[in-house]
Amino acid sequence: MELNTASEAISFSRELEDESAKFYGNLAQKYVKGEEEFLSFAKENNKNIVQVERVYYGVITDAIEGCFSFKGIDTDNYSIETKLSESASYADALRAAIALEGKITKFYLDAAEVSKSLMADVPRVFEMIAKKRNERILKLKSLL
Amino acid sequence: MALLEEPIKGVPVVKNYIAGEWVESKGELKDVVNPAKNEAIAKVPISTREEIDAAVEAAQQAFPDWRRTTPLARVRCLFRLKELLEEQFEDCSRIQTQEHGKTIDESRGESRRGIENVEVATGIPSLMMGYNLEDIASGIDEYLIRQPLGVFGVIGPFNFPFMIPLWSAPYAVATGNTVVIKPSSEVPLSQRKIAELVDEAGFPPGVYNLVNGGRTVVNGMLEHPDIKGITFVGSTPTGRDVIYKKCGETGKRVIAQCGAKNYMVIMPDCNVQRTIPALMTSFFGNTGQRCLSGTVLCVVGDDAFCNRFLNDVVDTASKIKVGYGLDESIQMGPVRDAKKKAEILGYIEDGIKAGAKLRLDGRKPTNLVGDYPETCFLNPTIFENVTPDMRIAQEEIFGPVMSVIRAKNLDEAIDMANSTSFGNGHAIFTSSGKAARQFQYNIISGNVGINIGIVAPMAFFPFSGMKDSFFGVLHTQGQEAVRFFTESKVVIQRWL
Repeated sequence: MELNTASEAISFSRELEDESAKFYGNLAQKYVKGEEEFLSFAKENNKNIVQVERVYYGVITDAIEGCFSFKGIDTDNYSIETKLSESASYADALRAAIALEGKITKFYLDAAEVSKSLMADVPRVFEMIAKKRNERILKLKSLL
Repeated sequence: MALLEEPIKGVPVVKNYIAGEWVESKGELKDVVNPAKNEAIAKVPISTREEIDAAVEAAQQAFPDWRRTTPLARVRCLFRLKELLEEQFEDCSRIQTQEHGKTIDESRGESRRGIENVEVATGIPSLMMGYNLEDIASGIDEYLIRQPLGVFGVIGPFNFPFMIPLWSAPYAVATGNTVVIKPSSEVPLSQRKIAELVDEAGFPPGVYNLVNGGRTVVNGMLEHPDIKGITFVGSTPTGRDVIYKKCGETGKRVIAQCGAKNYMVIMPDCNVQRTIPALMTSFFGNTGQRCLSGTVLCVVGDDAFCNRFLNDVVDTASKIKVGYGLDESIQMGPVRDAKKKAEILGYIEDGIKAGAKLRLDGRKPTNLVGDYPETCFLNPTIFENVTPDMRIAQEEIFGPVMSVIRAKNLDEAIDMANSTSFGNGHAIFTSSGKAARQFQYNIISGNVGINIGIVAPMAFFPFSGMKDSFFGVLHTQGQEAVRFFTESKVVIQRWL
């Protein structure tokens, strides 16, 4: 689905954060070895939602182009896989998490890029979250 | 995408809020219609003369105590109101979409801009300060203090049901006055919501009153000797010929913010990629129903640039998703009602007859998403080959219609913009500082945009206007509102 409006982009960001938080919650239950890390990721996801919504609701105004800011972003390109097979090993789980983080990071960066000249604050927080997620990828890779 | 939940359920009967009580009106009831669904979502009373008189009396009785309440204590009520508005932000926004039709992004933007005025008004202990000079003559000091006047009337329009009364009311009550608000009877639910929160915020009874209705209420305000001033936002004929005139006759202060015909001047050096979304928002945002909407696209430059630019504009506008604003994917909602749609269609017919070329025909809402009646929906319309003398280039259409005019150079573009009878929100799109300055210097417009399509001043700046767009002296919002709602008293003192 192609995004157009800021409201859609914020809802999609919330969806990604919620789904990936659930994903990490499940991983924490299944793999004791990475429990602490996975739970901290899930917690951070919730903080990300709060941050994105605080910025969006704080700056949304008719001086910016809220209904026309996210042209070119197709959510199909950022769909994430949150199901793991029963037999998946810890390494499989880490690889799945890396793939998921890659998709989400790309969403934030692409969405920031298309909207940055129009909305300023929302892209800035998107870029900040993308940076944090990149750090997650490095962390996950180090656990492999 | 699924629809966001509607906060207004059933068909409630709207009451008046007078002296801190919700009072049923004796006036006849009128349907409040959700324009996207074309169905009644509430009933609003057309209140009687006795009811507006009762509200003014309650406000007048509340005034002496409220005036004596310290500014600090007064703004604490506003701080509480601000908290409640933030807590109810999403409901407030969705109510706007339900009663007006605008998209949810637009409604949230309106909520934010409204709340910002409450925030600014909480600074009254500083904003209301006077000034002084010691020793204007030896041993003699002089100082100025600001005092509230009494009861003010606030008359709101249909296009921004939540925000526009907040351009005035928070400043009026923060400075120690009392108010009577009359929202548009087409969209009374946002102001009902605000009054509920005012009630919860702990304002003393009578400080903030709400009376629903139409002409009778307006006339009641204009003729009532206890009303010291009126703020009005609406059409130029009503603002100039009724509100401004009558306030002059009765000695009331007045701010009348009225119609517009805003030129968006496009220079060949503009950043096209960034300009197009700004133009979409300007011309088609709020379905063109705002006094800061772009209405004339004045393109400066050679044929090659103009054609290329216009192709991009038409292409983008043709893809705008039209529908119910509680669907987050929607970029343009319906117009407020069928009558307004008919008026807009009349202008489009007029443009065709006058010889303008219909480049994008929006009369049929072919982009309508969802199973909604077409009653109030239109697609964006774009006219090419428009000349400044045509009706569509002169009059305020108040709908999603763009008239494209060509200009040889910036001087000609400015002359054309200045030839309209309005001066509200003209803008230029350019990467040249020189052109921008020339435009800013010479354009006759209360609000001027430079690479901004909607020139809506923030709460701490006055919402300006010139020519037939504004009648009065001081403006709503910020420091000018503080001056409007206060009397300047100068004291010269000598202690012997």
